[in-house]
Amino acid sequence: MSDMSAAQESVGNSRQPAAIELRNLVVKYGERPAVNGLNLTVPTGTIFGFLGPNGAGKTTTIKTMLGLRQPQAGNVRVLGYDAVAESMEVRARVGYVSEVNSLYDFLTIPQLSAFCRSASRQWNQGIVDRYVGVFGLPTKIKVGRFSKGMQSQLALSLALGSNPDLLILDEPTAGLDPLARHEFLNKLVAEIAAEGKTVFFSSHILSEVEAVADWVAIIRDGALVVCDELDHLKQTQKTLKLTYANLPPAAEVQALRDLPGVMSVAQEGRSVRLLTHGDVEALSQTIQARPYALRGVEIVDLDLEDLFLEYMKGGDNGR
Amino acid sequence: MVVKEIIEARWKAIIGGAVAVVVAAVLASVYNLLKNTLETGNGAKQPPAQIQALIQQMLGSYDAYAWSQWFSKDGPELLAILAAVLGASLISSEVSKGTIFFLLSKPMSRERVLLTKYLVSALSLFGATLLGSVALLIVAAIVGHPQQIGGVLISTVLLWLGMLFVLGLALLFSVVFKDVLRPLVGSLLVTIAFSVPGYIPHAQDWNLTFYWASFAAYEGTAFPWKALIICLVAAIVPVALAVLLFRKQAY
Repeated sequence: MSDMSAAQESVGNSRQPAAIELRNLVVKYGERPAVNGLNLTVPTGTIFGFLGPNGAGKTTTIKTMLGLRQPQAGNVRVLGYDAVAESMEVRARVGYVSEVNSLYDFLTIPQLSAFCRSASRQWNQGIVDRYVGVFGLPTKIKVGRFSKGMQSQLALSLALGSNPDLLILDEPTAGLDPLARHEFLNKLVAEIAAEGKTVFFSSHILSEVEAVADWVAIIRDGALVVCDELDHLKQTQKTLKLTYANLPPAAEVQALRDLPGVMSVAQEGRSVRLLTHGDVEALSQTIQARPYALRGVEIVDLDLEDLFLEYMKGGDNGR
Repeated sequence: MVVKEIIEARWKAIIGGAVAVVVAAVLASVYNLLKNTLETGNGAKQPPAQIQALIQQMLGSYDAYAWSQWFSKDGPELLAILAAVLGASLISSEVSKGTIFFLLSKPMSRERVLLTKYLVSALSLFGATLLGSVALLIVAAIVGHPQQIGGVLISTVLLWLGMLFVLGLALLFSVVFKDVLRPLVGSLLVTIAFSVPGYIPHAQDWNLTFYWASFAAYEGTAFPWKALIICLVAAIVPVALAVLLFRKQAY
């Protein structure tokens, strides 16, 4: 995964401090590791999509960033602060919308705002009022009577009220209908990012991540599978579909697996799919020069969903 | 955060306070009726002599009656339930409703979160205790048995400190458990367990509930230093444990 390493290294070497830096993070529930040696660097000012299947460790990672869980090993730095030792500093600068999205249902918006203001260091009621107005949320009724979508919109408005440098959204659109999802992400997240804030959001709805994110990381079993700029990832990672004249021998499939630039190999009869990174054209020519007759070679561009599925299918080869 | 806690606890406190007022007022007002009934008999069959002696002892003086009924019996029972109800949901309901993430993602120390919640509940409990005592004072004066304000106030503070032990236990269990029922039942069971030495000969000193009420203090004949210190220590211990536990609790 040289691409991943290079991209992360370039972020790590840049002069601007990373918004989030995780080094060899291990978080366990009892003996079971939910996060297992995770390394991740989130560049400042990006919209960063944090992807993974259910149970991959996304929420646990986020909770650890906010000091809600203590890591068993590794380092977590958020906005330059140690998330364990300086958790208060982190929380003062981070806006968080949780997966559960639960707000106090017995309070009205002004009462919730007052609560958040009392707990915030740099509260900006104007921002909250603005977004409450944009969403058309009623201010006189209790939050418990709001729809799921309205509660998500309010949670985001309140998270922005603390004027955060980093916004962490954990499955922010879970339970929203497609229209509400579209409004939430396309309208808001883009607007927030335009102000120079970093947005880090986890989701398993890949189309929404692809629509707004400029960086993505995919984790599985608590460890990083890939992390890169989305455009770079899509440019450099493609699928090579090979159709052999005859069933390729196992040795040939293994040889393909060992070629530089091949990340994973999946065989179905005479068809072999390679997930590749780097110069796919050169790789294609190398394969065509091998002593096995090919009926067809096709280079397929991947969207984020394809990439995600390839990485999930790829087993250890995908790492 | 204080306002949010007040809004959250207000109905429990209002209902608890109202019940305290009603119970204390009824207790204070029925003394004359009970005494007359016992003295005249009203044609009813008289209870056995032993029971009569006990009733006579209880009704011997209004002061002893009022103290034993409100500060030593019904008050602690009622207010212990209110303390358990107030404390049991402080953290556990935040966890069960999922609001704990919203709460703990704010830049507040966990100590501040916990102690703010505790203090609001403790003040609500004091309000309910004080209302009961004030109702007792007013009704006692109306029925012709004015009580010493100083003695009632000291007894009120002592009773409140005793109830803080129950509140602290409920808070501690609320940090441990993720539902409201177990902290509620657990805190009441532990409180009952601490009253068990009262039923064991020569073990009265180990009965914590014994220190919640002092007749000497009520009468104004002695200041209950020992009881105050014991109640204060008993109130602090479970809260301190809750703070230690909450600081390390993962969510």
